[in-house]
Amino acid sequence: MSISGVHLTRIGHGDFLLDPLKSLNIRDRDRLIEEITAYLIQVRAVRLFYDLSDLALIDPLYYSWLEFLARAARAVNVKMICIRMQPTAAFALSRFLQETPTFQTAPEIDGWQE
Amino acid sequence: MTTKIHISDRVKALFELKISNIAADLEAPGLKSFCSDNRLMDQDEVADFSHEIESLIASLLGSEDPTNLKSPEFHAIEVFFGNLSHRVLVRGGHIEDMVRYTKALQNTLIEVLEKKSGIPFSKSQAVWLYLDDVFNELIMVVFGAYLEERERTLQAQQAELRETATPITEIWDGVLTLPIIGTLDSSRTMLVMEALLNRIAKDHAKAVVMDLTGVKNIDSQVSHHLIQMVRAVQLMGSHAIVTGIHPEIARALVSLNIDFNNITTRASMADGLKEAFSRMGITVSH
Repeated sequence: MSISGVHLTRIGHGDFLLDPLKSLNIRDRDRLIEEITAYLIQVRAVRLFYDLSDLALIDPLYYSWLEFLARAARAVNVKMICIRMQPTAAFALSRFLQETPTFQTAPEIDGWQE
Repeated sequence: MTTKIHISDRVKALFELKISNIAADLEAPGLKSFCSDNRLMDQDEVADFSHEIESLIASLLGSEDPTNLKSPEFHAIEVFFGNLSHRVLVRGGHIEDMVRYTKALQNTLIEVLEKKSGIPFSKSQAVWLYLDDVFNELIMVVFGAYLEERERTLQAQQAELRETATPITEIWDGVLTLPIIGTLDSSRTMLVMEALLNRIAKDHAKAVVMDLTGVKNIDSQVSHHLIQMVRAVQLMGSHAIVTGIHPEIARALVSLNIDFNNITTRASMADGLKEAFSRMGITVSH
């Protein structure tokens, strides 16, 4: 399933993988969130794995996008887990992070534990 | 306006000399300083660089103004002495070997030039003063090389100490341990953090036990770096477990208003490892 800027793949029962594409425009946040949550409801998703492997840096703007998406997903009872965060991104993010993120994190899809 | 410098006849004669075939005579101080008991070089090496010295001295004395110690010819001699000093020091030689060699070379040079030309240079105060100026500068170069080499050794030792003071070990598949020993300062915390995050990515670590038993002091900035390190570990999806917090460190962290709500802490490294294993569903039986 492709929504402009992201690619969603079913990877198991209720589990979905979100690959952000180069064309992802996080300034169009509201439209993207509506389309993604609509899809998650439609396919009865339980967990959404957000792949961060291609992101060398997470700035406050991108973090705010992740936070909004995680909150929206939680509103429709889907848990968002960010996977494969790069050391540089974790380093940068930890510098300005003040609160615990809404999303959870895991090194890999199979590395995630409740 | 030009300044006219008075140069004595003997010094003039020195500058007019056509220097050649003195390399073999210049080997003696090199053989004595570097080939005797300390065996820093072999005879061929000394013979090689004595040829180089001959050519450098001939260039300086034959240059437009041999008294100019900023000339390219003199700079070439400085570079040569700098490199020779590094070579001697790296091989375990002492600065004394180089200083003695430089002074002995000065004396030998006067003797050799006197012998070859028949002009009694050693009787001329002006010649001695000129050569003193040249060789004193070269001794300064030797000291400079010594200080550089010492600084390099210190930095290498510090880097080694940093590495050994923060060994990141994969104690079990997916479980890393990081015992931190000594004083944590900001630069060290950053280095540890960088190494740890890269290791988590490389080993796909699921849990990291950071042991602070060896940390005696912590200040506000470092405690924030520590929390930042824990957060970064969590963001990469690993469980961060902090162990071995001394009562003084605990008190310092509390007074600094550090929030430990989302950080797993255990009293000892052993407890931390148990926690890491239990989170990974591993049971350790006696």
